[in-house]
Amino acid sequence: MASVSLRHVTKLFDAGGRPVLHDLSLDVGDGELLVLLGPSGSGKTTALRCIAGLEPPTSGEIHIGERDVTQLPPADRDVAMVFQPAALYPHLRVRENIAFPLTLGRTPRAQITRKVIDIADRLGLTAELDRRPTQLSEGQRQRVALARAAVREPRVFLLDEPLAHLDGTARLELRAELSRLHQALGATMIYVTHDEVEAMTLGQRIAVLQDGHVRQLGTPVEVYERPADAFVARFVGAPGMNVLAGVATHKRRGTHVECGSLTIPVPLREYDGEIQVGVRPEHVLLCGIDDGVGAVEVRMVESHGAETLVHLDAGGLPLAARVPGFPHVAPGEKIGVAIEAERLHFFDAAGVRLA
Amino acid sequence: MKTPQEKLRFALVAGLLLLGSAAAPLAIAAWTSARAERAYAERIATTAAEYLATVTSPARGGGGSADYDLASLLVRARALSALPGWSPAVEVYHGTAPFIAATAPPLTPDAFADLQRDGAVRWDGATALAPLRDRNDGDVVGAVRIAPRRASRGALAGLALPALLAVLWLGGWAISGLVRARARVRLAPYAVATVVLGIAAAANVRGAAADATDRWLADAQLVVEDAATRGPAQPVDVAARTLQRLVRGAELVPADSADAAPRREHLGRRIRATSMVRLGPNRWLELRTDPGEEGTTAWVALAVALALCGPAGVSLAAWIARADARRRRETLTAWGFLAPATVHLAIFSLAPAVFLVYLALHRWTPGESGAPFVGLDNFQSVLGDPLTWQALGNTLVYVLHVPVAMAVALVIALALHRHRSALRVVRALLLLPYAASTVAVALAWRGLFRTDGGFINATLAHLGVAPVDWLGDPRNALLAVLIVAVWMQIGYQVTLFLVGLDAIPAAYGDAARVDGANGWQRFWRVTFPLLRPVTIFAGVTGVVLAAQVFTLIYVLTGGGPARATEMIATRIYQTAWGDGRFGEAGALALLLWVFLFAATWTELRLLLRRERHA
Repeated sequence: MASVSLRHVTKLFDAGGRPVLHDLSLDVGDGELLVLLGPSGSGKTTALRCIAGLEPPTSGEIHIGERDVTQLPPADRDVAMVFQPAALYPHLRVRENIAFPLTLGRTPRAQITRKVIDIADRLGLTAELDRRPTQLSEGQRQRVALARAAVREPRVFLLDEPLAHLDGTARLELRAELSRLHQALGATMIYVTHDEVEAMTLGQRIAVLQDGHVRQLGTPVEVYERPADAFVARFVGAPGMNVLAGVATHKRRGTHVECGSLTIPVPLREYDGEIQVGVRPEHVLLCGIDDGVGAVEVRMVESHGAETLVHLDAGGLPLAARVPGFPHVAPGEKIGVAIEAERLHFFDAAGVRLA
Repeated sequence: MKTPQEKLRFALVAGLLLLGSAAAPLAIAAWTSARAERAYAERIATTAAEYLATVTSPARGGGGSADYDLASLLVRARALSALPGWSPAVEVYHGTAPFIAATAPPLTPDAFADLQRDGAVRWDGATALAPLRDRNDGDVVGAVRIAPRRASRGALAGLALPALLAVLWLGGWAISGLVRARARVRLAPYAVATVVLGIAAAANVRGAAADATDRWLADAQLVVEDAATRGPAQPVDVAARTLQRLVRGAELVPADSADAAPRREHLGRRIRATSMVRLGPNRWLELRTDPGEEGTTAWVALAVALALCGPAGVSLAAWIARADARRRRETLTAWGFLAPATVHLAIFSLAPAVFLVYLALHRWTPGESGAPFVGLDNFQSVLGDPLTWQALGNTLVYVLHVPVAMAVALVIALALHRHRSALRVVRALLLLPYAASTVAVALAWRGLFRTDGGFINATLAHLGVAPVDWLGDPRNALLAVLIVAVWMQIGYQVTLFLVGLDAIPAAYGDAARVDGANGWQRFWRVTFPLLRPVTIFAGVTGVVLAAQVFTLIYVLTGGGPARATEMIATRIYQTAWGDGRFGEAGALALLLWVFLFAATWTELRLLLRRERHA
C-alpha cells in the first residue's frame, strides 16, 4: 500500500488553453479512500488519469509511496483503474477478463486460476466466470471491472465513476461492496464521482474540485458542516445549501441581513455591506406569516414521503425548505420562515467563508 | 374473407387461376405438337414432290420436254403412296386433277393459281400443298397434298393426364381450404403437382417434335432409297449429290453401314438427327437433319412458368383477400420501393446467373444454330484440361497477396492512427490507387516495368542490379502482378483498418495500459481481437475480388508470358471469346463460383465465431 501525492500539478490539453488542472496539490494517505467530488468539467477525471499515467501532467510531480512516478508509464506505477463504462474486453470471457492483468506478467497459471477464483468469490461473480461481458448486467460488469483491478493487488485503486451507470439497487449494493473491499484490502483508493451522496457515504475524506482547483479537502462531516466556500456549500447536499445574497447592516441592536423579503438577525459583529448567507434546507422552518424572519410565497411542494421539499420564493430569491412529513401548504400560499441563527453560514461577496 | 360475397369472389378468381394455369401448359403442348406435325407435313410434301420430279419419265414426243409423262406420273404417284412403311396420306395432282384416288375432288383453280404464283408450300384447309415443278425445276405443273396426322403424342400423353388430375384435385382442395379458412392449408403439394404437369407437358412438346423429325427421316429415307434404285447405279458420293434435292434442309453424306433406324448423333458440337439410307450392298448414305426437339427449350420453359402462375396467383389472391387494406397498401408500397432494385438485380444478376447455368449444361457457340444439351460434358472437359489447373494454381498464388497486403496495411494504419495530424492528407493519397481505374494503373505499371528505361529497372541499375525482365519472363511475371495488386489494395485496406481503429473505444487501450500491458501485448491481446470484424470484412471481400481478377491481368500481361499469369477469370474469357466454347466457359465460371462460395463460407465460419462488441 502506498500514499499518493500530487504536487503543484497543472495540466493543459492545448498549449495556451485553459488549464484543466490548476496547480493542484493533494495528499492521499496510505490506505485512505479519498473521493474527488466535482461537477463535470471540474478536472477530477483528468487528475485520476494523471495519477494512472494515462495523461502526462504539464507541470508538477506525482508521487506514489516514496517514488516519483511522474515520468513512469502506467504499467510501472502499480495502480489499477476502474473505468466508467466498465471497459471489459468484449472478446474475452469474465474469467479471462479478470485474469488479464496477471497473464501479462509471469504469474504461474495455477496461481492465476486461484486468484481469479478468490476474487470472483469475494465479489459474487463465481457463477458468471464463463460468460461474456455482453451477457452481464451493468452492475455485474462493474463488479468484473473491480475484480480485474483487485486481482493484481495494486498499491493504489483509481475508480472513475464506477457507479454512474447503475440503477438504484445495484448502485447501493455495489457501494456497500466497495466499502467492504476497501476495508478488506486496506488499499489506497481514489474515487471520482459527481454524486455527493456517494462521496459522503464512501469517502474518508472528500476533495471538492471546481475548474481544476481544490475548493475544499476534508472529512464528509467537515465538508457538509463547514463548507469552505459558497460553491462547496451549494454543491454538497441534495438539494444544496440555500445561499442568499444580501446586505448586512450593523445597528445598535445587532446585525441584520436583508435578503429579498427576509430580514435575518445574524450573530456577526461589525459587518456592513454585501454578504452571502447560507442555510441548509433542513434548517429552514415553516411558520406563521408573522412569526419568522420574513414572508415567503410557496412555489412548489415535492413530497418524498418521509420528508417534503418546499420551494419558496423570498422576494425573488429561491429558498428550499426540507420539512418532515407532509406540511399543509399549497403553491401560491403566503407563509413565514424561521431560521435558527446558529445554523447560518456566512460567505463574503466572493463566496469565501467568513469565520 | 368474411362475407359470402368475398368468399365467392375469391373462389371464382382462384378457380379461374387454377383452371387457366392447368390448361396453359397443355394448350402449349397441343399447339406445339400440331405445329411440329404441320412442319412435318410441309417437309414431306416437298420431299414427295421432288421425288416425283426425279423419278417420273419425261413426256414422250417433244424431245427434251419439260413436262412429265402422265402415265409414268400416275404409276409413280401410286407407287409412292404404296411404299412399304410410307406413313402420310398423300394425293398427287397434275394440273388440278387428282392422280392417286381418281374419285377425289380436284384441286381448286384458286389453290393451283396460288401455287403457281408463289412456288412454295401452302396450306389448303387442313392439308399441305407442295408445288410439283416440271422436269426443269421451272413451272409449277401440279401439286402434292399431304394431310397431317393428329399428333402421335397428344397433349395429355404420358404423365400429363395423372398430373392434370392431381393439379385439379390438390388445387381445388387448397382453394376450398382457403375459402373455409381451415387452419392448415397446403399450397405446396399443389405447386409440386403443377410443376409435374408443366414438366409432363414440356416432355410432350419435346416428344412431338422429336417424333415429327423421326417420321420425316423415316419417310424421306424410303423415297431416297426408292429414287436411288430407279436411277442408274452411281458412285456413292455422286448419288449423294443427285439425291440431295429430295431432302432440302438436310444433308446426305456417304457413310458406312449402320443401324437404319432414326437416331440422334453428336457431330462435332452439334446434335443431329440421322438415319441411314441404303443404296445397295455396302453402299450407304447418312441422312442428317436438325432435330426438331432442340428448338423447343423456350416452349418448355414457358410451359413450366405458366403452370406455376397458378399456385402463385392463388396464394397472391389469398393474401389479398385476407390482408386488411392497410397491410395491402404497406406491402404494395414496400414493393414499390423494392421494385427498381429487384428489377435491376433480376436483369443484371439473376438472369445472367440463370443463363450461366444454361450455358454450362449446353454446347453453345454464337453463330451456330442450336445449343444441344450436353449434361456435365463441359465440366468434364474443363476439369480434364491442365490449363484449368494451371490457372487455378496461379489464382491461388495471386489470392495470397490479400493477407500480405492486409498485414502491411495494418502496420501502416497503426502508425497513422498514432499520428493523427498526418492522417487527412495521407488518407486521401492512400485511396488514390484504389480509386483509380484498373486499366490506367496497369498501363502505368507496364511503363514502370519496361525492360529498357522503365523506372524500376533504371532504379535497380543505379543500385548496381542487372535489369529484370518483369513482364516478359514467366518466372517474374506473377511476382510483378502481385506487386501491382498489393499496391492497389493497400490504401483501401489501410482506410478500412483506420475506420476500425477509430471505432475501438479508447477505454480498452487505457485499461490495458493501466493493467500493465506493453505496446505489443496491447496490440495482440486487445486491438487485434477488437479489429476482428474489419479483418474479416477486408479478408473476405479481398479474397472474393482477388479470385475474380481479370482487368489487371488482361491489361498488364494478357495472361502471359507462357500462361504464367493466367487466372481463372482470364481462362474463362479466353475459353469463351477466344475459343468460342461458351459452354465450357460457363462451366468454369460455375466452378469458380462454387469454389468462392465454399472459400467464403469456410472463412466466415472460421472467423465469425465471436464478433460482437460489448
